[in-house]
Amino acid sequence: MTDQDRQKMVVTPWEVSGDIDYGKLIEQFGVQPMTQSLADRIARHAGYIHMQLRRGVYISHRDTDWWIDEYEKGNKVGLYTGRGPSGHVHLGHLLPWFFCKYLQDAFDADLYFQMTDDEKYLFNDYLELEQTIGYTYDNALDVIACGLDPEKTHIFSDTEHIQHLYKIGLKVAKRVTYSTAKAVFGFRDSDNIGMIWYPALQAMTCFLQSDREGVNIPCLIPAAIDQDPYWRMTRDIAEKLGYYKPAQIHAKFLPGLAEGGKMSASQPETAIFTTDPPDVAAGKVMSAFTGGRDTVEEQRRLGGRPEVCNVYAYYYFLFEDDDTALREREAACRSGALLCGECKKQLAERVKAFLVDFQVKREKAKEVLDDFLIKPVE
Amino acid sequence: MTPWAVKGEIDYEGLMERFGAEPITPRLLERIMRHTGGLHYMLLRGVFYSHRDLDAMLDHRERGGRFVLYTGRGPAGPVHLGHLVPWTFTKHLQEAFGSKLFFQFTDDERLLIRDDVDEGLAGHWVLENAMDVMALGFDPENTEFIVNTRHASRLYPLALKIARGITCSTMRGAFGFGDESSLGKMFFPAMQAAPCFLASERAGEPVPCLVPAGIDQDPYWRITRDAARRLGYPKPAQVHGRMLPGLTGDAKMSSSQPLTAVYTTDVPELVERKIAEADTGSHPSRCPMYQIRYMLLTEDDDEAKELYADCLAGGMECSECKARLAETVNSFLRRHRRRRSLIRSGVEKMLE
Repeated sequence: MTDQDRQKMVVTPWEVSGDIDYGKLIEQFGVQPMTQSLADRIARHAGYIHMQLRRGVYISHRDTDWWIDEYEKGNKVGLYTGRGPSGHVHLGHLLPWFFCKYLQDAFDADLYFQMTDDEKYLFNDYLELEQTIGYTYDNALDVIACGLDPEKTHIFSDTEHIQHLYKIGLKVAKRVTYSTAKAVFGFRDSDNIGMIWYPALQAMTCFLQSDREGVNIPCLIPAAIDQDPYWRMTRDIAEKLGYYKPAQIHAKFLPGLAEGGKMSASQPETAIFTTDPPDVAAGKVMSAFTGGRDTVEEQRRLGGRPEVCNVYAYYYFLFEDDDTALREREAACRSGALLCGECKKQLAERVKAFLVDFQVKREKAKEVLDDFLIKPVE
Repeated sequence: MTPWAVKGEIDYEGLMERFGAEPITPRLLERIMRHTGGLHYMLLRGVFYSHRDLDAMLDHRERGGRFVLYTGRGPAGPVHLGHLVPWTFTKHLQEAFGSKLFFQFTDDERLLIRDDVDEGLAGHWVLENAMDVMALGFDPENTEFIVNTRHASRLYPLALKIARGITCSTMRGAFGFGDESSLGKMFFPAMQAAPCFLASERAGEPVPCLVPAGIDQDPYWRITRDAARRLGYPKPAQVHGRMLPGLTGDAKMSSSQPLTAVYTTDVPELVERKIAEADTGSHPSRCPMYQIRYMLLTEDDDEAKELYADCLAGGMECSECKARLAETVNSFLRRHRRRRSLIRSGVEKMLE
């Protein structure tokens, strides 16, 4: 990667690269910045403020305040998120799912969870459909292991459950033209017709609960901000189809164990996968990029730089819920008292303990998978 | 007796050449006859006149293989006599070759391109049309209806595989789709192509597919043949038919112009009136009255020849010919409707 590449920010549903300027993204996408009062409102319903809200994971939103208004009026509200099953799940993927669980509990909301095995197949020539379908089931175990409510969670695969999705997908697909899709997603004539169709299926889920229950239910989508083009397209046609516009709450991208970019499954060495043997994951932590100095002497004298440290990022976003403890860790790092080796060792232990527990839940998920899959409307 | 000598509004030979299809030659007819024992009147009379890889189907069968049939219908209204031409021939093929038939109802496409059709209406026509299909005598054990919105899961994975290899520029070229086309319209051809490979996919081995259809559907099959090569399925073969002309002299009996069409639901008085008001031609080859008999209703060769000769010799006035045709149509429709009424519950089960 050259310096020029590094600087150039690219954010589409298929590519995220360069140094991300969230202020610019918020402006470009025309969304509202996240506010303390909105975070507090969510926390009031949940009974506590989620670590991710405290740590600024959610940087912007659209109509999340309206979604909460509706809930406060006594109306039912719903959630929608999803996953493109092109490989194993890494810890970065879990963040929005943990957050969905938090919102599900706080707002008593049904969660529609879309596995876009068709998308991954259509957009990646190196993948076979059988592979993406296989990952759908593998990844569903991770979703379930996040502790979601089986009564209120509806996981579905685009290919396996198309029966439940196709008719409403057609309604969307009828109202979006090829030229709109080209403008929103940058499609070209050389792209395949499946890619062109796919946005209808990702949009459809915004209306799925309303359609199944026969009454309009506000839908909130917690997802990374790169998915925003889909929601802009969906919002444009929602009212024409007689549904509410979907609301969004946007997460920023998470750093990986290597420098820069999002914790990406396409660069396996930079991510910790939920299926990694705990010792392997610990090894990855031990070889992680940190904000440390070249020598111990230098670090004692100058202190570390948590703002560029991926190990610190793991504590910050996932492994240190306690704000005081986090502040102490940051101070110890900056003062040079805490060296990287020790800090990594402590994180490795936490990652190991987390994975041991998560992998047990993942195994148990195999037995209850069916309870979480979408069912026909009665 | 060459009703095709005169070129109508549709240049069938030209279409065949343009699409790169082959004529059904006397030699091919002989070969077919060795398989089927006799020749169906629609083959003898050149109603089905062009093909792609029909000979390969026969090769395959001679090696002990089987092939399946595939045709379909967009369920947005009642069935007319023109629809019955390819279906009658398809029924013959099913009987003669013992082939399984996949019959697709493209209600998804109707919903995508029509604003006056909703789910309920499309569902109504699916059942009504399916009864018309089965009233022709298809073997229910060997016929599978696929209603796209209802049975999407049977097709979608295959459609995705097909879609990944078709670019938007191909769609522009083949169907004239452009920037104003909807996302659904762009993708739909993959759903129409999918049944061609369904038997192979299910069997886990190549099972070729023969598609009897009007030649106007050909662009779909050319795209499907490209997909077959890429995905390793047998290329679907086609046998192309001519379109039954409309009552008022149009090249094709068409639902978009109800007065040009005789529907299977038309009451006898309406049939009489439509035919009484229909156009006739100065020569049987140009006369829709004769074509309806020759292409569909009058199987008996002697009877067809007699009508032809009577017309040319001036032995029969147009009005008398029309009255006799109305009687033929009505007695056909009476039988058709009787069969139709007996099979409703069976058809409903087939559509589940």
